[in-house]
Amino acid sequence: MATLHMLSYSPFADSRLASCLRLLAADDALLLTGDAVYALQANTAQRQALELMPVSIALFALEEDLAARGLTAVPERLQAIDYAGFVELCCRYDRTNAWL
Amino acid sequence: MARSMLIITRQSPWSGPTAREALDIALAGGAFELPLGMLFLDDGVFQLTQAQQAAQLQQKDLTANLQALPMFGIDSLYAAKRSLSERGLDATKLSLLVEVLDDDALRTLINSYDHVITL
Repeated sequence: MATLHMLSYSPFADSRLASCLRLLAADDALLLTGDAVYALQANTAQRQALELMPVSIALFALEEDLAARGLTAVPERLQAIDYAGFVELCCRYDRTNAWL
Repeated sequence: MARSMLIITRQSPWSGPTAREALDIALAGGAFELPLGMLFLDDGVFQLTQAQQAAQLQQKDLTANLQALPMFGIDSLYAAKRSLSERGLDATKLSLLVEVLDDDALRTLINSYDHVITL
């Protein structure tokens, strides 16, 4: 019974990412969209926190949001997805939790 | 059978309409007898402090409305232990009877509902 957690706000502006990271269960996944993809910015504590997540937690980001922001040096564990992949993920997990 | 939903509320009552909107979702769902739970997380725990005076800011009192949750059949009320302690709040002096849960228990809680929404 796993949850897809979805973040869309910059992790440099508020505590959504920090809170979410604490509440991720072993088989949950994290999907970054919008300004939340800035969490992948190199040389930041946020990027490091994502890299240190247990390997059982899958990490996704919306490809067009990465490209729009010029984020190319992404972690190896990151799986970039398009909108069709977004829909597929929502169906794959038991529930979604959008951190609005 | 109705599907269950956990509403995670993580804004203070004074940061905008979000706290009230989360409560409205809960009360509306309760009126339709949906199996709901509500979790107070991060600044959301500030909704539970006593002696708030909403009239000072020309606002309506959220505390009184929170008291309506059990009357609407919403008894599954939780607060995050870490959020309370980070903010210096005493779990025994809250305006609403909630179950205080640590991070491990919260992970299990979230994965026990059909739907989750975080506001």
